[in-house]
Amino acid sequence: MSIQNLNTFDPFADASKGADDDVQDGLVHIRIQQRNGRKTLTTVQGLSSEYDLKKIVRACKKEFACNGTVIDHPEYGEVLQLQGDQRENICQWLTKAGLAKPDQLKVHGF
Amino acid sequence: MAEEDAIFDPTLKKKKKKKKTTFDIDAALAAEGNADTDGAPTNAAESEPKEEDQDDGNVDIDLDFTKKKKKKKKPFNAEDLDAALNDSKEDGGGEGGNQEDGAADDNFDLDLLDFSKSKKKKKKKKDLDELMAETEEKAEDKENVDENSTLWVGSDRDYTYDELLNRAFEIMRDKNPDMAAGKKQKFVMRPPQVVKIGAKKTSFANFTEICKMLHRQPKHLLDFLLAELGTSGSVDGNSQLIIKGRFQQKQIENVLRRYIKEYVTCHTCRSPDTILQKDTRLFFLQCETCGSRCSVASIKSGFQAVTSKRAAIRAKTA
Ligand SMILES: [Zn+2]
Repeated sequence: MSIQNLNTFDPFADASKGADDDVQDGLVHIRIQQRNGRKTLTTVQGLSSEYDLKKIVRACKKEFACNGTVIDHPEYGEVLQLQGDQRENICQWLTKAGLAKPDQLKVHGF
Repeated sequence: MAEEDAIFDPTLKKKKKKKKTTFDIDAALAAEGNADTDGAPTNAAESEPKEEDQDDGNVDIDLDFTKKKKKKKKPFNAEDLDAALNDSKEDGGGEGGNQEDGAADDNFDLDLLDFSKSKKKKKKKKDLDELMAETEEKAEDKENVDENSTLWVGSDRDYTYDELLNRAFEIMRDKNPDMAAGKKQKFVMRPPQVVKIGAKKTSFANFTEICKMLHRQPKHLLDFLLAELGTSGSVDGNSQLIIKGRFQQKQIENVLRRYIKEYVTCHTCRSPDTILQKDTRLFFLQCETCGSRCSVASIKSGFQAVTSKRAAIRAKTA
């Protein structure tokens, strides 16, 4: 028979399995991906779920004159996706709108 | 015109000289381990010639037009100069800045006087010349001080701050001859050889070589490159990296630079002499120069949008 109190409890057991969920690291990752030809795609991952991404994408589409969509990803949450290289634009816009601080933005890509 | 030139030329030369002296100190300070300092001095150097150009322009304008133009331009110069000086001051550290401060003051005085007397054309010119002469003298004084920094050793007079500063740097340079040269060149990276393969792929020919130079596992750099570029790729038989997508050398260079900043150079002292170790899921950067150890960001590719033809995916999965 085992005594409950004497069982070793590992307080970090749950920490070891998933520290790689990007949503929690507080950063907004802005990435670029190449499509066919010279077309590109910009994704914005890690925006707080408190914001209405649909509204954001609507504003961005108008502001940058590009198409865009919101993708609900099982692991990364809601991700903004815009056509073309909008990295500069989205950085400026997010800071201007006060949705993210400049040091929260992490721009990836070339 | 000739007269003007004669008057202005020496000042220009002096200016350059003056800057040189400050630059030496900058360089010496930079050698102390700031790898990034490279940027600022060149900045200053870039803005200085401009300034001189403007000065030249002013000379011409002086003759052709009214004084007003000059009035307008001068404050600009002052701002430029200040900006340039501030730039170098920020990076150069306290001592380097001090001297430059002096230089800035000289120029500033000049500008201020410029303003007050801008209405009296003839008088102003004379005053300007006098001032120029004064600043020249000051500059010369500085030169002398710099050149004979140990003059006071045998004499009774007190040493000045600049003299002591120069002495300190001279001693530093004497004792560590490799310091100035050794650290300044920091990282001589060979540029990545990037070649297009057809329309859709890019080859990074010296990938393995660069990994060796950086003392990093090819896999680590590969993971980083692919995650950053948001694409896929692999190392082929000729140890070159084939990346899907079209990339230019400049773009790969950018990503490499970021990799080096995050995973190669020490975050404390920026020495490239580091070891990357994996310790309980986290990568740690251990510096061989200063002994600092810090964790580095893990490489995550994050969200990947669907970029291939959806029809093709459907055909594959169905
Ligand atoms: Zn270090």
